[in-house]
Amino acid sequence: MRQLRPKRDTWGSRLGIIMAVAGSALGLGNFLRFPVQAAGNGGGAFMIPYFVSLLLLGIPLMWIEWTLGRFGGGFEHGTAPGIFHSIWQKNRFIKYFGVIGIFGPFVIFIYYTFIESWTLAYSYYSLRGILTSLPDQGALQSFLKGFQGLEKNAFFSGLGPAYIFFLITFFINMTVISYGIRGGIEALCKIAMPILLVLGVVLVIRVLTLGTPDPARPDWNLANGLGFLWNPDLSALKSAKVWLAAAGQIFFTLSVGIGVILTYASYLSKGDDVVLSGLTAVSMNEFAEVVLGGCIIIPAAFVFFGPAQIQSIARQGAFDLGFVTMPLVLGKIPLAAFFSFIWFALLFLAGVTSSVSLAQPAVAFMEDEFSIDRKKAVGIFAAAAFILSQPAIFWLGRGVVNELDFWGGTFCLVLFGTVEAILFAWVFGIDKAWEEIHHGADMAVPRVYKFIIKYVTPLFLLVVLGAWFIQEGLPTIFLEGVREADRPFVFGTRIGLVLLFATLALLVRVAWKKRTRQAKR
Amino acid sequence: MTLAGWIFFGLSWAAILGLGVFCFTKIFFKKEIR
Repeated sequence: MRQLRPKRDTWGSRLGIIMAVAGSALGLGNFLRFPVQAAGNGGGAFMIPYFVSLLLLGIPLMWIEWTLGRFGGGFEHGTAPGIFHSIWQKNRFIKYFGVIGIFGPFVIFIYYTFIESWTLAYSYYSLRGILTSLPDQGALQSFLKGFQGLEKNAFFSGLGPAYIFFLITFFINMTVISYGIRGGIEALCKIAMPILLVLGVVLVIRVLTLGTPDPARPDWNLANGLGFLWNPDLSALKSAKVWLAAAGQIFFTLSVGIGVILTYASYLSKGDDVVLSGLTAVSMNEFAEVVLGGCIIIPAAFVFFGPAQIQSIARQGAFDLGFVTMPLVLGKIPLAAFFSFIWFALLFLAGVTSSVSLAQPAVAFMEDEFSIDRKKAVGIFAAAAFILSQPAIFWLGRGVVNELDFWGGTFCLVLFGTVEAILFAWVFGIDKAWEEIHHGADMAVPRVYKFIIKYVTPLFLLVVLGAWFIQEGLPTIFLEGVREADRPFVFGTRIGLVLLFATLALLVRVAWKKRTRQAKR
Repeated sequence: MTLAGWIFFGLSWAAILGLGVFCFTKIFFKKEIR
C-alpha cells in the first residue's frame, strides 16, 4: 500500500510568518555588529550606503526568497534543492546546488546554539548578581574564558556549567521545532518577538537617559556617545571598503542567502501575500538594528569609558563587546543586575528565534522529500546536530567555530544569494517572476524594481561576492592568521564539512530517484 | 553630537519608523490570511 504523505504544515496567520522571518533575521548582529560597522565606517555617513544596499540588495533579495519559497511550496518542496529544481526542471544539477540551502543553516546551527546558550547562562548569572559585581574588564574576560572552557580559573574549573546551559538551550530548540510551524515556531515567535522589542526599547530608554554619569567629565555624555556613532564622516563614502561593509551588513542582518526564508515561505499558500509581508519583516529587523542597536552599546560604553577608550572598545570582537563590555557598563548603573538580565534575555530571545529557523530546513527536507513524519525528522536532526555540535563546544579555542562560521555563515550565504537572484531573474525569467511576486500581493512592488531585480541586484551581488572572496575568502582558505597548532582542527573541520555536504547531496539523489520511481508507477 | 550627526540620526529613525508604520498600517487594514 502506498504510504500517504503527511499534510504539509502551514502558518496560522500573516503576523505569524512575519514574526518568524523577523525572528530569524534578528540576532546578536543587530545589537553588536551593526554599531561597530557603522562607527568604523563613517559613522552617520554609513547610513547612505546602508540604505542604498537595503533598497537595491536587501529588500529585493527578501522578496526573491519569499516568492521562490512560496512557489516551491506549491510543489511541496520546502528546501532549496526542490525549489531550484521546480524553477529549472531541465537542469539536472541545480538541485545539488540547492543543497547549500540545507547545508548552510545546518552548519550555522551547530555552533550557533552553543553561543545562544551563553546568553541564557549570562541571563542567569545576571539575575544572581554575579556578573555585574565583577569589577573590571579583566575579571569579566576571565569569567567568559572560564565559562567557555578556554581556561581554568577562579570562576570555572571546566565546561560543566556551560554544557548544562547548552543542553537546556538545545532541548528548548528541539521542543519548539517538534511542535511544527504553527504550533512551535509561530507560537514561539509571536511571544518572543514582542517581548524582545519591548526589552530593547527599555534598554534604549535607559541608555538615552544616562545623561552625564560623571560630573567631573562633562564631555563623557550621552549626546557625545551618540555622536561617536552618528556624526558623519562623508569622506568615508569615497572608500569602496565602506560600501562593501554596508552591503555585507545588510546581507547578514536580513539573513538572506541562508535558505531559511525559502523554507519558511514554502508554508504559505499561492494566494498569500509576500510583498507586504516581506517588507514588514524587513522593517522589524531594521527597527531592531538602527533604532535599538544604534542606541545601546556604543553610546552606553562612551559615557562610562570616554572618547579615548571607545575607539578600542569599538574594535573589539562581538563577543567581547556583548559579554564583557556591556555587563561592565551595566554594572555602573542603578538596578545593574536587572538591566544586565534584560540585555542577555534580549540576546537569548534574538538567538532562539534565529536558531529554530536554522533547524527547520533540514527537518523540512526529511518531511518533504522522504515523507518522514515531523517528530521522527526532528529526532534524526537532533541526533545529528547534537553530535556535530560537540567539536564547536570542546574545540572552541582551536578555530572550529571560526571555520564553521566562514563556510556556513559567510561563504555559502553570499554564493547562494547570488545564484538565487540570478535564477529568479534570468532562469525563471523576470516577467514570470514579476507575476509570481504579485500573486496575492497586498501592495504593488514599485515598477523600477523590475529593472533592479533583473540587473542591479545580481550585479551588486557579483561585485560583493568577488570583492569579499578576494579580501576575506582567499586569506581564510589559505589559513592566514591560523596558529600552527590549530591547523589540524581547521582541516578536520573542513573534512567534516565536505562529508556533510556529500551526505546531503547523496540524500537529494536518493530522494529524486525515489520520486522518479513513484512517478513511473 | 554635531548638527550633521543629529540630522543623520533623525533621518535614519524617521525612515525606519516610517517604513514600519506604513507596513503595519497596511496590514491591519487587510484581513488575516486565515
